[in-house]
Parts: sequence; structure tokens; C-alpha cells
Amino acid sequence: MRRIVITGMGAICALGNDAASTWKAMTQARSGIGVIERVPADQLRAGGVVAEIKGFDPTSRIAEQRAAMMDLAGQYALVAADEAIAQSGIRFEGENASRTAVVVGTGASGEATRDDQYRRLYADNASRLHPLGIVKMMINASASHISMAHGITGPTFVVASACASSNHAFAQAAMMIRSGLVDAAVAGGTEACITLGTLRAWEAMRVLAPECRPFSAGRRGIVLGEGAGMFVLETLEHAQQRGATILAELAGAGMSSDAGDIAAPSDVGAAAAMRAALRDGEMSPDEVDYISAHGTGTQANDSTETRAIHQVFGEHARKLAVSSTKPMHGHALGAAGALEMIAVMGALREGIVPPTLNYLEADPACDLDYVPNVAREMAVSAAVSNSFAFGGLNAVVALRRWK
Amino acid sequence: MSTQQETFEIIAKQAKIDIDTIKVESTLKDLGIASLDAIEVIFDLEEHFDVTLPNEDTDFDNGTVGHLVEAIDRQLAAKNAG
Repeated sequence: MRRIVITGMGAICALGNDAASTWKAMTQARSGIGVIERVPADQLRAGGVVAEIKGFDPTSRIAEQRAAMMDLAGQYALVAADEAIAQSGIRFEGENASRTAVVVGTGASGEATRDDQYRRLYADNASRLHPLGIVKMMINASASHISMAHGITGPTFVVASACASSNHAFAQAAMMIRSGLVDAAVAGGTEACITLGTLRAWEAMRVLAPECRPFSAGRRGIVLGEGAGMFVLETLEHAQQRGATILAELAGAGMSSDAGDIAAPSDVGAAAAMRAALRDGEMSPDEVDYISAHGTGTQANDSTETRAIHQVFGEHARKLAVSSTKPMHGHALGAAGALEMIAVMGALREGIVPPTLNYLEADPACDLDYVPNVAREMAVSAAVSNSFAFGGLNAVVALRRWK
Repeated sequence: MSTQQETFEIIAKQAKIDIDTIKVESTLKDLGIASLDAIEVIFDLEEHFDVTLPNEDTDFDNGTVGHLVEAIDRQLAAKNAG
């Protein structure tokens, strides 16, 4: 089987405008969550608390003409992809262009563009809408722009599975590389969901909280975030041939569907995806040192995910470090798994496990080691990253440290 | 009609259950109303009474129907006072 390695990573989120600053903030237990600035906070319940990207000037990083054609979701994805591609040193000349894929996970994308369009149409009774509305809000735009900006001509598309989108994207990229369809892929996820319309819709589901404290007693729900994480994946052979620096190995991916409730999580579905990822990566549960949890901070997710971890890891579950970085970068929906991949890569490469912030005290239903509040130095040779979505769609990736 | 009677009717209609099975001490969970259905019940109540119920007043697992009625009455009183 072709081994898959990661040779580049890029990110933008409330913690920082690149992967390095995002990771540094994670090790320092910093949070990017605060009162919303984009929308008057009094238009929202629970104080309008989000993890917003601040001070992002797209034209400082994207050609002005291209930036003008893009929704924020596309802009985030492209700057993260640019960073990952630059770090990896990969080039897309000749055959390499068609032997590279682009796969972006996103739940919705285009939210700000949609909000603007419909405000003009329904509130302002505008007689015309902006001609670029469609190309800005179409869900595939981010993948298209990465392809166009870098001349990548292989399979290019977006996958959508709500909060599991990024991990589904990694899985698709891995399968295409393994099958021999391509030798490399730019894969990750993006979301730009901090708009009045989106926030009000989430509010209506009664899952938004004024703070995010996964696995802790007193947790009340999620805080939304935004951003993108993009990675360069390629075969080991391809990376070695061009003398690339290898950051980590993508060992396996597992996917499952609950076929149950549209919103309530399932321990059975979550456990099935974790088992599938371990099986696919030929990794025994005992090898895993760290789980980057889905850990949304809702009552239901965190207790369900804990049960699933117990089912998969048995005795070893108590020895695992399990943390959720969502209290730092917020729940970025379709980009969640990609931002959390930054946490996994850092843990593997630097032997630091990022903490679960805002942890108050133990909840009997959540009885694992959640690395509360302070990062931990520990060697991590294998790690798993969980994403579980509304609609019962689960995707888990398993990674190994590159020695 | 009392807030309680109206609340019970809305719950019965949304959950498609006999109104006589609803007791003040029932939780929505006891009545077999889970997950999104419970959120919809709260939405229907908010729409009917034109009030906004804060998240802490809508604990589906432990909060009873009686608690819901009290929460609605509190919001109605606040609205009428304002």
C-alpha cells in the first residue's frame, strides 16, 4: 500500500493568520473567543460570543482581482493552501499538475455573500444584485480557486458533511492517492459562518453558549468559529524523490454514518468510525497516545464521545490524553477537522498536547484525561482526530509521528 | 384558557400524544419528545405566546412541563410589565 505523508500545512483562524501562530497559541492555552465585532452583539442571544478572525486583509495575501471574486470561505481556504504549498515546496509543473488533487471540506461556505444578497433583495428591495454573487457563494469555489491559483489540474472538488467535512476531505484525498489516481493532494477544510443569519439559525437550535467548556461539568454548548486549514498530502516516494521535509504520516481514515437521528450523536457511529480509522491505518488501539476530540461542549456530544472512546480503546482509554481545542478556535463546522489537524501535527512533531480550556470540574459522564486548561509535554507517536457531524456523519483520521 | 392548558395542548399536538398523558411533573423526555422535536415544541410555545425562552429554562432532560409553564408565565409577566 502507498504510504501517505504530510509535507505542508497552513491555517487561519481566531488564533492566528498562519499555522505557526495558531499552533503557538494552542500550546499557550490562548483563546480566540470573544464578543462578536462583525454584527452588533445585542442582536444575538448569549452575548454574541464567537471565535472571529480579526484584522484579515485578503488583498495583502491574494491578488486583488481574485479576492474580489471570493467569499471569505474561499479566501480563508486559499491563504491556508498557499501557506501549505509554500512550506511543502511542491511544484505543479508538467504531469504533476494533473497528478495532484484538491479536496476541500466545507459545511456551507458563502454565508456572508448569501446574507448580503438576501439583505439587498428582501430588506433593501434592491432592483439588482451583484453579478458575482453566484461565483462567490457556490460551495465549490474554494477548491476551484486553489486549483486556479496553483495550476493544479487533477480531481478537484468539495465534500460536505457538516462538522465532519474536513476529515471526509482528508479521507477522500488519501483514498485517491492510495488508489494511484494521483500522487499528491491539497486537502483540508474551510468555513466562514460568522454572519447574523447563520448565528441566528444556530441560536434557534439552542446549542450556542456564552462559553465553550468541553467535557467539563457545567458545559452549556458550542461557540462558533471560522477559518481554514489546508495540508499537502503525497506519497512517501513522491516526497522522498523531491527531498521534501516530512511532517507526519497520515496512517488511516475511517468513516461511518449513524443512520439514526438528524442531530443527536451516537456512540455506536462514533466508535465505528474510530475503529475503521485504526483498522485502515493498521494501528492498534494501544499505540494511540493522543485523541484530538470532536469535543464540542454540548452535553450530548461530550458524554457520547467519551462512551465511544471507552468502547474502542478499552483499558487503554484511561491512559490516553484527550483534548478539544474548540474553546480556542471555536467550532468552525466544516473547517473543524482541519484546524484540529494543526493540533495533532503539533503534538506529533513537538511532543506537546494542547489543553481543553475552560475545564471546571469532572462530570461523571466524562471520565477520561482531558488535559484540562494547561498544555502537557508528552511524547506522541500516534494520534487520532475525531469529527462527528449533524446528520450522523462521522469521519476520523489516524496519524503517526514521522521518525 | 390558562397558560398551562395552552402549553399542554401545544405539546400534545406537536408530539402527537393524548393531552391526558401530560402531567405537570412530566419532562419532555418522559413524554417521548427527544432532540429536535423538543426544540420544535419550545419554538411552537415561543411563537404561540410571543415570548423568548432562555436556554436555561429549557432543560429537556430534567426540566418538567411545569417548569416550562412557569418560565412562560415569567416571560409573559415581564412582557406585560414592560
